[in-house]
Amino acid sequence: MKERCREVLQRAYLFLDEEVLSIEERTQIQVHLDECAPCLEHYGLEREFVLATSRLKGRDECPQKLKAKIQTLLEEA
Amino acid sequence: MAETQPADLTADEKRRFQQDALPLLDSLYAGALRMTRNPADAEDLVQETMLRAYRAFDRFEAGTNLKAWLFRIMTNAYINTYRKKQREPKKVSSEEIEDFDLFQELKNHDPDINRSAETVVLDSIVDNDIIEALDDLPEQFRLAVLLSDLQDFSYAEMAEIMDVPLGTVMSRLHRGRKALQKRLWELARDKGIVKTPREAPGSEAGDNRGNAERTGGPGE
Repeated sequence: MKERCREVLQRAYLFLDEEVLSIEERTQIQVHLDECAPCLEHYGLEREFVLATSRLKGRDECPQKLKAKIQTLLEEA
Repeated sequence: MAETQPADLTADEKRRFQQDALPLLDSLYAGALRMTRNPADAEDLVQETMLRAYRAFDRFEAGTNLKAWLFRIMTNAYINTYRKKQREPKKVSSEEIEDFDLFQELKNHDPDINRSAETVVLDSIVDNDIIEALDDLPEQFRLAVLLSDLQDFSYAEMAEIMDVPLGTVMSRLHRGRKALQKRLWELARDKGIVKTPREAPGSEAGDNRGNAERTGGPGE
């Protein structure tokens, strides 16, 4: 793996999460992903996995009984 | 019984807490469920979190992130109380996780993959697989992944909630996501969705190590 590819993939999560990186660093990574098919594929895989986890959001709601209980406890507190 | 003493809040603070914190119960419960990994403990944890938060609400800085503040209280409560009575999650050495590269694993598995690589494993994964894999992660990785990917907290918020430096957040999230991929890959293999690589001439010794790791899993 080329040094540049390694650098880009090490920052894949920062790029994906839109964290830490400067605008210049983000642009440089985007340019590399546009040019390097294996890196783009690898990055796509990382992104798909994070999205798969995110799909669990909103799946588990607080039971109504617990909501009512907490509301009562707070009113009594 | 000192724990149940009335909170010393103004009427306005009480009203604000009910108005702002109660709508966050669904998020708190979802987070508690992935922390404790069972509904009974999750309910206890949410209730304790809300009571602790209510008692401390005069110290909440208005205008800052209430959800992050509540999650910090909940994470502390979880670590100090619930964790102790729970089974230890499977130990995963950080070296195993750093080594894991799903992309390379897929390529090694079948160099002639003609679909895009991610569809191989991802198409086979259902929500329950992800929950099972997440629940199996070591606690600090599990916390990082659930705070980021299930609760949408920023790195800075996660640093506050877990009370660790930003660099530690980044490293735990990175390793947590890699460990999750590894576990999902193993689940897909265990379910026979992807076949273990054929013994091909020139196949690398690395495959053996992968299998050896797998046998170390908990035997339900």
